[in-house]
Amino acid sequence: MTDRLPESGTAAVTAVPSPAPTSVLQKYWPIIATALILGLVPLRYGDSRATMGIAVAGVLFATYAVSFNIIFGSTGQLFLCIGALAGVGGYSSAILADRAGLPLLLSMVLAALVSSALGAAFSWLVVRRSLDVIFTGILTLTLSLSFSNLVLGQRNWTGGETGLVVDAGSETLLGDQIPPYYIMLGLLVLFLVVYRLLQQSHIGWAFRALRDDEVAAELAGVNVARYRIYAGAIGSAMLGLAGAVWAHSEGFIGPSTYAFGSVDVRVIVMVAFGGMGTLLGPVLGAVVFTVVDEILVSFSQLREVLYGVVIIILFLGFKLGVISEFRRLVTRLRSRPGRRGRASELR
Amino acid sequence: MTAAILDGIVLGLQFGLLGVGLTLVYGLGGVLNLAHGSMAVVGAIVVANSMAAGAPVLVAVGAGLLAVGVLGLVLDATLMRPVYRLRGESRVLLSLLLTLGVAFVIDGLLVWRYPIGSLGIHIGGDPVEILGVRMRTGSLLASAISIGAGTVLVAFFRLSTAGRAVRSVIQDEVGARLCGINPAAVRSLIFGLSGVLAALVAVTRSMTAPIPTTAGIDFTILALIVTVVGGLGSVAGAFSAGIILGIVNTVSSFYIGTYITTIMLLVAAALTIVLRPSGLLGTRA
Amino acid sequence: MLEVEGLSAGYMGDDVVHDISFRVADGAAVTIIGSNGAGKTTLFRAVCGLLPKSAGRVTLDGADISDLSAHRVARAGLAYVPSERHLFPQMTVVENLSLGAFPGRPDPKTMAVVLDLFPQLGERQNQRAGTMSGGEQQMLAVGRALISKPVLLVLDEPTTGLAPKLAADAYAALAVLQAEGLTLLIAEQQVPLALSLADHGYVLENGRVQLEGSAEELENDPEVRRAYLGVA
Repeated sequence: MTDRLPESGTAAVTAVPSPAPTSVLQKYWPIIATALILGLVPLRYGDSRATMGIAVAGVLFATYAVSFNIIFGSTGQLFLCIGALAGVGGYSSAILADRAGLPLLLSMVLAALVSSALGAAFSWLVVRRSLDVIFTGILTLTLSLSFSNLVLGQRNWTGGETGLVVDAGSETLLGDQIPPYYIMLGLLVLFLVVYRLLQQSHIGWAFRALRDDEVAAELAGVNVARYRIYAGAIGSAMLGLAGAVWAHSEGFIGPSTYAFGSVDVRVIVMVAFGGMGTLLGPVLGAVVFTVVDEILVSFSQLREVLYGVVIIILFLGFKLGVISEFRRLVTRLRSRPGRRGRASELR
Repeated sequence: MTAAILDGIVLGLQFGLLGVGLTLVYGLGGVLNLAHGSMAVVGAIVVANSMAAGAPVLVAVGAGLLAVGVLGLVLDATLMRPVYRLRGESRVLLSLLLTLGVAFVIDGLLVWRYPIGSLGIHIGGDPVEILGVRMRTGSLLASAISIGAGTVLVAFFRLSTAGRAVRSVIQDEVGARLCGINPAAVRSLIFGLSGVLAALVAVTRSMTAPIPTTAGIDFTILALIVTVVGGLGSVAGAFSAGIILGIVNTVSSFYIGTYITTIMLLVAAALTIVLRPSGLLGTRA
Repeated sequence: MLEVEGLSAGYMGDDVVHDISFRVADGAAVTIIGSNGAGKTTLFRAVCGLLPKSAGRVTLDGADISDLSAHRVARAGLAYVPSERHLFPQMTVVENLSLGAFPGRPDPKTMAVVLDLFPQLGERQNQRAGTMSGGEQQMLAVGRALISKPVLLVLDEPTTGLAPKLAADAYAALAVLQAEGLTLLIAEQQVPLALSLADHGYVLENGRVQLEGSAEELENDPEVRRAYLGVA
């Protein structure tokens, strides 16, 4: 476990503790800045429904990415079932709201809980059986694929191939793409705040300890098992919630909405690119790849090829993710004596 | 029922051949090749095109296998270098991501070239009777090739010095080096070989029934399932698991249905991971 | 046979052994003694190509093997038996031994000689290496090294985990091999045994050569006697 792609920036930064930031502004300025920047998007592109549609999807993927970051970036559990967990949330909420007539908010919360329970169960298995990355990945992959097959097979519940129209919530959200954008953005900000809170709590400390050296963490009294399950439960709850919000705001979900190929692959690339274990890495990754996807749309036939090439170049170059690489650069510059002045200018 | 089981065994041998390459590549270097299935489809396409150009069956098959072998060696010499420089988890992750990228590139190119994708290799001839079951010549040839390849492979690993050398690298890489064995060369060789074996499966499958050009991912997932159930790194495990899963697959598809069958195979893999991670015959502690 | 000059090597940028020089003459038995952590294993791994060197040169029978990878060093005639043995656990005794001759097949005569030297191996030819006792595994490891007909046999603490009688037996076998012309290099913590076999020795401490001399000189050296022979 000690060979994991390191969250190298944080390791070096926390080794030399700076005075703890006290004001809300200091603690949360990256989130606030992100919210402001992303919040400005509709002002520039609000007229184009198409662009706004892409933007909402982009923010959705950012929420997926932040959730995955908690599960994998923080505790190294390779959950290859991102789409499935979101889909469980989406379909559950749709079924609860439309079929069982539950109030919208309650449906979404329950859906999130279902996903959370599923994720926690997988984490429990991972912990109980000491599964490594490959086995965790394959195990969760079987969930993904089984979920896809279930969606296709259980037509009465899920609409199968043709998909499911989601009525609840659509009256308020259908049509104009701007409120859905802000709802998604609000969700993203919420998730980022949760991430930040986790980072600075004892849970975050435990996450970092177990990422650096699991054995040492156990010996130091960190109940690795419990924290892995926390990460699985929290991250999955977030995925389920995001999936549910998406289902209601889009008004329609189908097999491709939460498929492995549509969701997991992109989210993993986004998080790995942006920087695992960092706060804004996933958001950066989501933004970049949403843009890349749009650029590639014009090459629709060769899109998959270009995507593959982009992935290969990316990972040959940035093995740690953009933000982590950037952080490493900064700490390396910082640690050189007599260069402090220049380093702070660079930032 | 007999027909189903016979079919299942032949299918199982193909599953085994599909999984062997993947399991060996993992056993030797701790990496997972997600482009496995895509490479297989490339081989089948080369064979189909060669036959369309007039080449006799065996020459065409040879061309296809050679093409994939070369592709495998090229990939190993280029993309796998940075992967092998890493250790442990980072190595696994990078291998997953890079080979995923390769899978996308290959699949994308195939879909672009053959948009109405499905390829079948037609072998002429009248159906033949085996044990009271009628089999088309295509299926027969496919079975023969699968059985032949399987036998050669097993003999290679059990009896030949080279095969023993491969097993040695899996069991103790340092020990192998001390015996004068070059693990990197073994890894490259097996990477190429795994592609060839997978291509063999794609070819034999398309002799039995046409396969879609997007079958790459399906093959990869199938290979993963067989590998996991058989035990990562075990050749015998891959074949044992292959045959068992092949029979399950055929019988279940026949009597129950395709969606459930797929889920059953997936659940088999999941249960193996949870209950007995070393698989049927794996060497993991 | 073996010349090492100015060798330094270590892990993750930090050298564990510094500027080591020593020689092993043809047909001689040389021992490197030192306590735990002195750097013996690091030294041997560097010499045999398992560990990259930060400085120094290694020459085997006149040929420079400094930059060769472990498998090439093995093929050049240097057979290394590490203290962890690194056998192939799922393979039988015979299979393990055969691989010692890679890339060729083992010479039947050599095989007979090895099985003769270690009768317990002969009794267990089809037993899996992983199921054998420590002593048997040690014999198998040495046997595998011998099958390759090396010019130099390098052993890292061959008596680890062996009961005194077995350890003595092992050294008796090594004496036989030396008598037949094999050059030996042995790292040992059990100094009396080592000095009983060796012609020449080096004392390694904190990664540097502190003393060298013939076996007799070392046996009578007061520092050696105090530190390693437990004699006041």
